[in-house]
This record gives sequence, C-alpha cells and structure tokens, in this order.
Amino acid sequence: MRRNRRWAAVAGLVASLSLVAACGSNGDDGSGGGSGSQNAGGAVTLTWWHNATADPGKSEWQKIADSYHAQHHNVSFTVDPIQNEQFNSKVPAALESSNPPDLFQQWGGGAEATQVQSGKLMDMTSQVSSWVNQLGPSAKGWQVDGKWYGIPYDYHIVGFWYRKDLFQQAGISSPPKTMSELDSDVSKLKAAGISPIAIGSKDRWPDAFYWEYFVLRECPQATIASSIAKQDFSDACFTKAGTDMSSFLKTNPFQSGFLGTPAQQGAGSSAGLVANGKAAMELQGDWEMAVMPSLATDKNFAQKMGWFPFPSVPGGSGDQGAGLGGGDGFSCTSQATSACPDFLKYITSTPVQKQLIKSLAVTLPSNPGANSAISIPTLKVVLKYLGGVSYNQLYFDQALPTNSGQALDSAVADYFAGKGSPSSIAASVAQGAGP
Amino acid sequence: MSSTGAASPNWRRPLTTALAYAAAISIAAVTLVPLLFVFIGGFRTTPQINASPTGLPHPWVLDNYRAIVTSSLFWRFIVNSAVIAFLATAITVVFGAMAAFGLSRYAFRGREAIYAFFTIGLLFPLSVASLPLYLWLRDLGLLESRFGVILPEAAFSLSITIVILRPFMRDIPGELEDAALVDGSTRLGFFWRILLPLSLPAISTVAILAFVTSWNFFLLPLLVFNNQDHFTLPLGVAAFQTQYSQDTARVLAFSALSVLPTLVFFLAAERRIVGALGGAVKG
Amino acid sequence: MTVSETSTASAGPARTAPAPIEGRSSGHAGRWRRRAELTLLIGPAALLFIGFVIVPMVVAVHYSVYRWSGFGPLTDKVGLHNYSYALHDPDFRASVLHNAIIVALSLLLQLPLSIALALLLNRRMHGRAALRLIVFAPYVMSEAITAVIWLLMLQPHGFVDQVLDVVGLGGWTHQWLADQHVVLYTIFVVATWKYIGFGIILLLAGLQGIAHELHEAAALDGASAWQVTRWITLPLLGPTIRIWIFLSVIGSLQLFDLVWIMTLGGPANASDTMSVYMIDHGFRRYEFGYGSAVAVILFLICFAFALVYQRFALRRDTEGAMTRAVG
Repeated sequence: MRRNRRWAAVAGLVASLSLVAACGSNGDDGSGGGSGSQNAGGAVTLTWWHNATADPGKSEWQKIADSYHAQHHNVSFTVDPIQNEQFNSKVPAALESSNPPDLFQQWGGGAEATQVQSGKLMDMTSQVSSWVNQLGPSAKGWQVDGKWYGIPYDYHIVGFWYRKDLFQQAGISSPPKTMSELDSDVSKLKAAGISPIAIGSKDRWPDAFYWEYFVLRECPQATIASSIAKQDFSDACFTKAGTDMSSFLKTNPFQSGFLGTPAQQGAGSSAGLVANGKAAMELQGDWEMAVMPSLATDKNFAQKMGWFPFPSVPGGSGDQGAGLGGGDGFSCTSQATSACPDFLKYITSTPVQKQLIKSLAVTLPSNPGANSAISIPTLKVVLKYLGGVSYNQLYFDQALPTNSGQALDSAVADYFAGKGSPSSIAASVAQGAGP
Repeated sequence: MSSTGAASPNWRRPLTTALAYAAAISIAAVTLVPLLFVFIGGFRTTPQINASPTGLPHPWVLDNYRAIVTSSLFWRFIVNSAVIAFLATAITVVFGAMAAFGLSRYAFRGREAIYAFFTIGLLFPLSVASLPLYLWLRDLGLLESRFGVILPEAAFSLSITIVILRPFMRDIPGELEDAALVDGSTRLGFFWRILLPLSLPAISTVAILAFVTSWNFFLLPLLVFNNQDHFTLPLGVAAFQTQYSQDTARVLAFSALSVLPTLVFFLAAERRIVGALGGAVKG
Repeated sequence: MTVSETSTASAGPARTAPAPIEGRSSGHAGRWRRRAELTLLIGPAALLFIGFVIVPMVVAVHYSVYRWSGFGPLTDKVGLHNYSYALHDPDFRASVLHNAIIVALSLLLQLPLSIALALLLNRRMHGRAALRLIVFAPYVMSEAITAVIWLLMLQPHGFVDQVLDVVGLGGWTHQWLADQHVVLYTIFVVATWKYIGFGIILLLAGLQGIAHELHEAAALDGASAWQVTRWITLPLLGPTIRIWIFLSVIGSLQLFDLVWIMTLGGPANASDTMSVYMIDHGFRRYEFGYGSAVAVILFLICFAFALVYQRFALRRDTEGAMTRAVG
C-alpha cells in the first residue's frame, strides 16, 4: 500500500489531516487497549493498525482478519485503519506508552531500527525463520541486526511508465537505456508534438524521485548508506547528482504547468495525463497501475503502457542497476502473543497474497508464489526487474528522519521551480540545517 | 469635474444611473457565475465538464446529487458541523452573557481590567494560535473529540460576544433594575427575567456570529480530527475533493450541497447577519 | 490587570453602570453575596478564556525555546535559536512578504473598488435588495469550500480559461496556480471574490448613516457631486473605512484555508503565507518547537498591528477597549 501512502502523503489536505501528528501521546484512542490481552480460554485480541483507510485495502484487510479468525477462533482483531502519515508520529508515541498496538504498519529502514531501540518490538526471528526466506532478499530491509522485527507483505519500485503508442508515434523503437538516450527521446517526442514526461510537482515527492535516482547512479551504495545514517550529504557525488539533474531539467522534459500538477488527483494529474495519452512518460512507483484505472477514460489504457528502469548515467560511480523503492509490512510488539507472527505468516501466504493482488490492494507481492496472480503484463516486467536489482534503496524521505526527509523533498521541489542549486539540495539534509 | 453648479446632475443622473446598473450587473455576475458553475456542474457528468467546462448539462443528470444525498457521509458531516456549531454557540452565548452582565451592571475593582483582558482575543485570530492550541489539546486528551473544537471556538468567540453585549446591557436603564430589586427580585433574577429578554437582539447577533464562524471553520477541525467520521463540512468537502478528484461533477455536486445550508441560513437571517456584522464592527 | 476602579469613568459618560443600588444589600453578607455572584457570572467565561486562549500562547512560548519533534520529553533547549532562525529564513521572510503583499493589494485595490461600488450602489435602484443578497453570499460560505470551487475552476483549460476565451480574452489565460509569478495574485483575486461583498455591505451601511440633508445642503451651495463625495461623504465614511481596514488586515494576516487547499503554499513557496509556513513546519516536518516560535512571532505581529492601529486610527471610533487592554 505504498500507493496509499503516497496518495495520502502530500495530497494536500489529506496530508495535513494525517499529519496531525501524534494524536496519541495520551493514548487517547481506546483502541490501543486490550492489546494482546489473553483471557482464560487462551482467547486473544490483536489490535491492528494499518494504513489502508480507503478501499480496496480497507475492506481487504478486514476480510483477511475475519478469515483468520474463522480459522483460529481464539484470535480476534480490533482493526484500526489509520491515515498513513500519522504512523510516523503515532507509533513512536504508542511505543513510549504502556499500551501499544499488537500489530502495526512497518516500512522498515531507519525508522524501524529506531523503533527497535524502544525495546517494545517483538523479535520474531524464531517464529518466522522457517518460512521467511520465501520472501526473497528484499525482505532483509525489515531486519535489524540480522533479527526479524518486521515482515513485508509487498514491495515497491520506482521506474518510468511510458505509452508505447506515443513512443511509436514519435519514432522511438525501444525505451532508453542511458540518460543521453532519454534526452534524445524527449526531443523526438517534442518534435512529434507530444508532451514527453508528466510529473506531479505540486505534491513535491515525485520531484525527489529524480534526484534520488541520480544519486543512486552517482554515489556508491556504501556512501549512500553512511550519508543517510549521518544525515550528511556533503560527499561530492551528491552535488554531482544535482548537476546531472540540472542538465536533465534544462531539456524541459515536463508538461506545461507541471509545478501546479498533482500526482494522482484527477484527469489533469500526472498519472491522469499518462493514462489518457496526454503525456508519454512518468517516473512513478508500481502503484501507478492501481491509480490509473480510475483516471483513464480509455479502458484499454493498460495495454498501451510499458515500463523501463531509470536510465544509467555513464561514468557515474554509483550502481547503474540499483532501484529506488521500498515496501509495506507489519511489526508485532513484544506484548503480543505468538498469534501475531502466525498472522503475518498467513498474510504472506500464497493464497492471501493472491487475493491481495486480485483486489488491487497490493501490486507487487512479497511472496513470489503469488506472482502468477498478476494479470497486467507490464507489472510482470516490473516484477522481473525488481527480482534482479543489485539493491533496492529505500526512498530517502523514509530512510531519513522526518524533518530532514521533508526538507530534502522541499529543496528538490524548489530546485524544480528554479530556486536553489545542486549544492543547496545536498546541504538541506545536513544536521542542523533546519531550525 | 470642471462643470459645477446645481444644474449638472440633470444631465449627469442618467449617466451615473446607467453606470450604477452596469456596476450592479457586473458584480452580480462575477459573484453568481462561480456559484452557478458549481450548482449546474453538479447536474453534468465529468466527461461533459472535461469536454466543455462552461457548457450546460446535456442531458441533465441527477446521479451526482442523488449519490451524495443518499450517502451517510454527507449527512454525518452536516450533523457534526451542526452539533459543534450549536454547542460552541451555546457555550459562548451563555458564558458571554453572564460575564457581560457582571461586567456591565456591577461596579467593582478591576472591572475594566477584566474587560480589557477578554478583548485580547480580538487581537489575534484562532488560526494564529492553532499550532500551540493543538499541542495543548493533545495534552488535555481532546484530540479527536468534538470538545477539542467546541471549547476553543467558544473561547475565541467570547471576546466579540462580550464586546457586543456589554454596552448593550449597560445601556438598559438602571430604573428597570431598581424596580426589579424593589419588587424583591435578586440581581440574578433581574438578569434572568428582565435583562436577558431585553438583550435578545444583541444575543441573537452574537449567536449568529459565533455559529457562522464555527460552521465555516477549517483549520482547527483539520488539526483535531483524523477520523473521517468526525469531520465537519468544510473538512469533508476538502477531503472529498482529494478523494474523488477525478470525478469533477461529483465534487461540484458535493460542494453545491455543502454550500446550500449556509445559503439557506443566510437567506433566512440575512438582515440579522448583515446587521450583526455591522454591529459587531461598531461594537 | 493593573487598571483600577478609576477606569470606570473612561467607560463613557452617562453610560456608566448603575451604582445606586450598591447600598441596598448592605453589610458583610451582602458583600460576600455580591462577590459570589460575580464569581459565578464571570468565572466560567474567564476559565474558558484562560484555558483555551491564554494558556496555549503561554505554552507556545515555553515550547518555542526547544528543538522538539512533538513527542517525548523537552530536552534540547536552544534558547532563542528558533526565533533567529525564523527571522533569517528566506522562506519565512518570503511568507511574511506574501502576507504584506496581500494586505497592500487589499488596501490599494479592494478598498477603492469597494468604496466606488458602494457609492454607485447607494441609490434607489431596482433589485437592490437582491443585489445585496448576492454580493454578500460568498462571505458566508466557508473559505474551504470557496477554495475547492476555485481550485476546480482554475484548472488548466478549465472554467476560468474557457470563460476568458469566450469573452475574447483568451490571451490572458495563465497557469493560475502553477506559475510562481502569478499564483499569489490568483489567490488575492479569489479572496477578493469572497470578501468584497462584505466590504460593500459595510460601506453601504455606513453611507446610510450619513444624513441626506448634508448632501442636499452642499448641493445647494453649488458643490459638484465629486466635491460632495470627496469632502463630505468620504470623511463621514471614515470610521467605517477604518474598521474595514482593521478587519481586512487581520484577515489577510491569517490567510490559510485558501492557500492550503489550492496550492499548499507552492510552487516553490511562491504562495506561502505565515500560517501555512507554521503548519507546514509543525505538522509536516514535526518541528513543533520551531512551529511554536513561529506562532509566537505571528501573534506578536498581529498584536503589534492591532495595538498601533488602535492607537492611531481606531481610537476615535471604538470605545477604546482594545487600546486599554494593553495600555
């Protein structure tokens, strides 16, 4: 449900709604209660915080909880859908309290590691080791110090979605592999009177995908990891990435008025433009395929969609095969019973994963056994690429502490609007750069 | 401008009258057209609107309005807004009238200081205080609670309430009070039986002000409520817009229906509202 | 709170609260009773007011000297760093400037326009009552709904663009909300749409208070319509205009809903206002200590404006309540 996250993320109002940080320092929601409480008969109620506040996810999770309960009568659920952005604040507050939920949304990365320090997360290693390997190497993003504190149920990766029909119209025979090829394709599309790339800059985070991908191409993995950990982007490769992005922006690849375009809202959004053939490409996550159907007037648009990874930057010292993405998962808290990891096993089991895919609640399953349920051919391409990436870097705004991550997104967005410089983007993250 | 003299209006009047009508018509048009776009747009389909934003419905469709009127969400927003606005108004009017009575018809040390203290709320709007207020409400455990919105709104409305009511109550002749006391009434009895009924015009003024302010308020409910079930109407419209933004027609219908209660209320109470605002600023 | 009983006199001659009854219930019992009554009458309002208006600002001052993400203990005391950061932050300065531009445009464009329209409409006309209703309607709508409506109308190739095309002003179309050089003015126009009716109604009410005989007398003396307006009407309209200015400035300073819904302060902060800046830093970046400092600064700006304006402009018109509040 990263899509959901993104949808909510900076969709303006909803952003703030959700932002509404920290409702919980007082544990004001009664729902936190009853956590993992065991009755005499061994009955247990799991309080479950997930981020699917809208359908299909919302009813899908409820269905899954119900069917698990049907098989395990002693386990019931209190399901609390919570606006996505709130997790950043609600979970730390809940972990400080005596009454955290038993099961909650987990995106892994730096945030999970911080949560582990509270001592409230369940080390599930012994319960999950027998089956967790089926989730592939990407699941390691939910490990902290080699122990399992979270389990992913889907993965995400960002890449270019493009219109095969428009590429053909512009005389482009195959998707670009390097930046210079992308640049020349942009000019070809322009020459054919087609808006080359759509972007939803009103929401800011789509801008950051570009910068982050240029960083992946220019900076070695170890540099990125240590720079994020130190919140110090002073290595020259970060400025180099900014310079690459700068020359790319100089080609004016985006639709007119892109600074005011939302990412996913309405036919005029960047996703809507591509879905309706008004622009040829968009750099977005796999969730795009779940966003577009409601925006497209052409019901057959999916067949016209293709996908290619972010092009390589020749001469860059980064990994040209690295991907940018993440995934969604859940963590259990230490007060929960072993029913909690068992439920995660259920969620990642092949039949449930297939069900999640069919309902569009999930696009790329963490359990490859469910891959066959994917019906959209282009998503299979994405899946295949994801299986072969050298590593899948977590979105920087997720990997960094919230204020630095947001400052980075803003700095990149400012640069898209013509403010700042490649070095000012890198500097925006430095500790003490903010107030 | 050079032509002076009493004669000039004779040839000027038709000109200025024409000008006045032209101004009147254009300002009415500028005001009405967006509202018509919203109300009429609700009768169109999104493809119709995308094809031609300025067109008329062809054919007219009722689905958008029907879908919203029959959805529980819309009515829930209305009920939430109504409950919050009603309670905020009730609290501010009751507390404000009591305080205004004390501050207008009792002479005591520090009275003006207390009055001045209450007027501080006029100097800065609630929006400015929203972030600290949010943190404070969180400490009080009032987030996600209607009272987290009601109490601050009532508190901020107290200033204008007292500023309007006090001079009004003060101007009620002292002889009335004397007569009541001679008849064996207590002061509170006088307040309840005589002063309050006499102050009704001013009280309805402040009640309307408080109600409209609360009904339209966006920022505080935005911060306090996460759960869509608790949303007030302005919040609901904005959320609906983000959620269904691909469906312009539906958003227009939703906006139209959300504006409707305000407009009906306004039509019903127009004189009083206009008077209230005029009075409020002169208070 | 230091003002004493003597200030009763300043509450206005001949309107002072009736004191004669004071002696009626004499003795200790009476005094206690009076005190109890006063506590009962003023206490609830005072508690509510202190609890939800005063305390939050005090709390804000407290938080504003910390670097604080909004949860956990306050450990990182940074003194006045948050304040100096805000005052040096180009984005915050820009947001202050944007508020100032909105205020200036209101005074330079909205006010003269309102006055001109009110003068034009201040005569017997057909449909005057209807017009009054119409121009006032946007004022009672919520700003959030206004924002949603205009957001839809201002989409590229949307309603506004098409209307401009139809009336032959197709060349005027802009990226209303996406062009950094235009967006602030777009928001100002929407705000004008919403609030101009209020100004007109207010001014019409003010005009009605001006005795007609004055005009007639002046006309008999040979004054032109312009002269009457300039030398008689406008000066008499002074109190109304000064009130309008006060409300307009305070309103402009708190501009939030329109911006938040239509642009989120973008692109690149080009439509950021002070309130948007505060909410953005507090709730999106979890910089609640810093956000509190910004709130205190906003409060001081509003307070300073109100004070100065009361002192120099409004003094004649109101009871001076606000001036005394701090004076």
